[in-house]
Amino acid sequence: MVLLEVTDLTKDFGGVAANSHISLDIEKGEIIGLIGPNGAGKTTLFNCIVGYHRPDQGKIRFKDKNITGFKPFKTNREGIGRTFQIMSISGDLTVLENVMIGSFCRTSDRRIAREEASEILNVVELEKDAEAYMTELPIATQKRVGLAMALATRPELLMLDEVASGLNPKETEEMVALLQRIHKAKGLTVFVIEHVMEVVMPISQRIIVLDGGQKIAEGKPRDIASDERVIKAYLGEKYAKGRKNRGSI
Amino acid sequence: MQIRTLKDALSFGDLPAVERIGFILFITFCFIFPWIIKGGFAQAVMIQFLIFCLYGLGWNLIGGYGGQVALGQAKNVGMSAYTVALLMVRWNIPFWVCTPLGVIVATIESFVLGYFLFRLRGHYFAIATIAVSLVWQQLFINWNFIGGARGIELPLRETPNFIYMQFDSPVYYHYFAFVLVMIAILYMNWFRKSRLGYQLRAITANEDVAESLGINAHWVKVKAYCITGIFAGMGGAFYTVYYSYIDPFSVMHLELSIMIALMTMIGGAGSMWGPIIGAMILIPLDRYLGAWLGGRGILGVDFMIYALMVMIISAYEPRGIWGIIEKARRKR
Amino acid sequence: MEMLLSTLVSALLMGMLFALVALGLAIIFGVMNIVNFAHGEFLMVGMYTAFLTATIFSIEPLLTLPIAAMVGFLLGIASYYMLVRYLLKGPMIAQLLGTFGLMIFLRYLAMCIFGPDYKTLEHGLLIGKSIMWGPVVLSYPRLGTAVLSMLGFGIIYWMMDYTRLGKALKATALDVEAAGYMGIDTEKMRGLAWGLGGATVGIAGALLINFYYVFPTIGILFCMIAFATVALGGFGSIKGAFIAGLIMGMIIDLGGTYLGPQYKFALIYLTFFLVVVIRPKGLFGW
Repeated sequence: MVLLEVTDLTKDFGGVAANSHISLDIEKGEIIGLIGPNGAGKTTLFNCIVGYHRPDQGKIRFKDKNITGFKPFKTNREGIGRTFQIMSISGDLTVLENVMIGSFCRTSDRRIAREEASEILNVVELEKDAEAYMTELPIATQKRVGLAMALATRPELLMLDEVASGLNPKETEEMVALLQRIHKAKGLTVFVIEHVMEVVMPISQRIIVLDGGQKIAEGKPRDIASDERVIKAYLGEKYAKGRKNRGSI
Repeated sequence: MQIRTLKDALSFGDLPAVERIGFILFITFCFIFPWIIKGGFAQAVMIQFLIFCLYGLGWNLIGGYGGQVALGQAKNVGMSAYTVALLMVRWNIPFWVCTPLGVIVATIESFVLGYFLFRLRGHYFAIATIAVSLVWQQLFINWNFIGGARGIELPLRETPNFIYMQFDSPVYYHYFAFVLVMIAILYMNWFRKSRLGYQLRAITANEDVAESLGINAHWVKVKAYCITGIFAGMGGAFYTVYYSYIDPFSVMHLELSIMIALMTMIGGAGSMWGPIIGAMILIPLDRYLGAWLGGRGILGVDFMIYALMVMIISAYEPRGIWGIIEKARRKR
Repeated sequence: MEMLLSTLVSALLMGMLFALVALGLAIIFGVMNIVNFAHGEFLMVGMYTAFLTATIFSIEPLLTLPIAAMVGFLLGIASYYMLVRYLLKGPMIAQLLGTFGLMIFLRYLAMCIFGPDYKTLEHGLLIGKSIMWGPVVLSYPRLGTAVLSMLGFGIIYWMMDYTRLGKALKATALDVEAAGYMGIDTEKMRGLAWGLGGATVGIAGALLINFYYVFPTIGILFCMIAFATVALGGFGSIKGAFIAGLIMGMIIDLGGTYLGPQYKFALIYLTFFLVVVIRPKGLFGW
């Protein structure tokens, strides 16, 4: 079943096309990676789907419902959760309370919200930090709190914006393992932005590549890794040509 | 559900012991005050302190927890005060009927205004609230039906009268104001643990993140602004019967809005006790210093002192005196 | 018809002064995205400075312009280094209420020193004179003020576009970090923006005293006019401030003449609303 369907999405900022004619489908239960060099339009695409930007053209359908131009809080209520690169939320609230803000999306009862939030903290293995304040925590933990907050809204589609940026290799590995576990346990559909290929490759079932605002490739991680256009986008024209020449010799 | 809400409002169990003791001391002090201090001026200052607590607790919702610089609390006070005064003077309607009506008028005004003004963010919003306050004040000064610049005076009744809230001793007013403040404190105690409280704090911290968590920021702000209006409306109704005289300069004045905001900022915006601490410092300072200096023909020193305090607070510790206490506590 | 013409001319002349008042606000906002609530009080300080210098030394009011400019400049610089610098680190609410505190402080400082009375200058080159120019009555103070405002405006405009200093200011406005990498002392530029803002509004105050009375709470009135002007012109746009100033002059003077003076300020606020609701970035904003 197709969960998210983007057709012909175009968004430009003052004449610069950040996204042009992008179409993609996401099946229920998939993990999909969205990669591309800096400035490829990944975050713009995310923001259009979630509702921070209104696309100039094109349609976004979620669970067969047209959600084009919905405000972020509405897309969230439809079942799309997202994290931010920098999840700066209140320093006066504890981790648990921050996650509760997410739970309050579904219930107005404080006790239920609290229970759900602590459950989710268990899932992301932060139960011991529940009473800590956000500002006291290292970046890797803050990223996990961000993930927990998004999970607390009980999304069907989880969109992650550079969950691994600013993490060291060990923390990255742990984050990847955590994502896989969540995906398995909850049957969640996950859509990941990364510009580091090494992070998305092992977890994604399918990868979409953007460059210059256009979709240049889509496929299994293995095929993407050897795709000429992708290599060109990442490493530049020269490298790709050199590789081709060597290949022909 | 209702019982739980009540329990949340009445339970201070999650607060540290020091705060609970402080709160009990505060209640006791307010309760026995009229019995130990008999001076008329002191009692008047105390009642003023209670009124400002009420205003401040209300403003704290939108200004402190919500982080929106709404400088128009005075117009909500004025809306309600004028409604109550007009109904009482023109149609002789009992206070207890006028007050709900006054509060409703203030709330509706807040709702309509909030609905439009919260499309604006940051400084635009702040300036717009000032502009609205000034327009209302001008309008009320020039509107003869409601007494124009002369204001409205409530008729003096011969005997003390509960229906029109007219008493010969300030003690009654003291307890009435005290009850209102207690209601406000209990509401705030519920509020800080409620969904609305958390959502508002999330919006203050980062509106984009808050929206991604399913929070309709515009609507939540409008709701909070309406509740602020209710508090101000109750204060305005009380003000009318307490002074039995209102005019656009006393209840519609921008200076009142400024005073409320500065007071809350100094005490600690976005904290439960901040507005009370602010009022505790500023009101006595204002009345005693103002009386002392005014007697010597020196004007404005009191406001200069608040202004200095606000500048220092905003520059070094935007969370006010309560923020300083909290910081010291977290370090330990 | 003659009356309309007279009002129109006088409104345009007044508008030029409004433009100068708004200019300072626009510069400060442009460079660091902070709204100076004390702007009207800066104007008041300029007015009192001119008033005092002119009465104490009994000199021609127009000669007090450099002094008012200097005082405004120092006031701006002092505000930046003693207050605003620290406010910028805090949340939005602290920034707003911080300059708000400055506004209240200056206002009541004036109240404390000068008392609440209205004060006007009675003698001066321009004061109280007017000429007939065809059917149109031209009041000297307004005419002189308009000419000098234009001059001041022109100098700032030229400076912003053609001097190194102006370019450095603009660079700071566009991107503080990048400007810092280019070797611009951004901290100094911000201080300077406050100094310039203070100086221009100080001059405006010294001009205004030629035909308007001064009292401690005059600030809020001109502050709201300046806000409305800057909102109309686009926050941070200098060209916008000029054209919006002229428009504001017309709105206030024409509205005051034809609707009654008690409505003229309501008109300012109405303009402000319409602008922020319909076109929040103003006529020339980015």
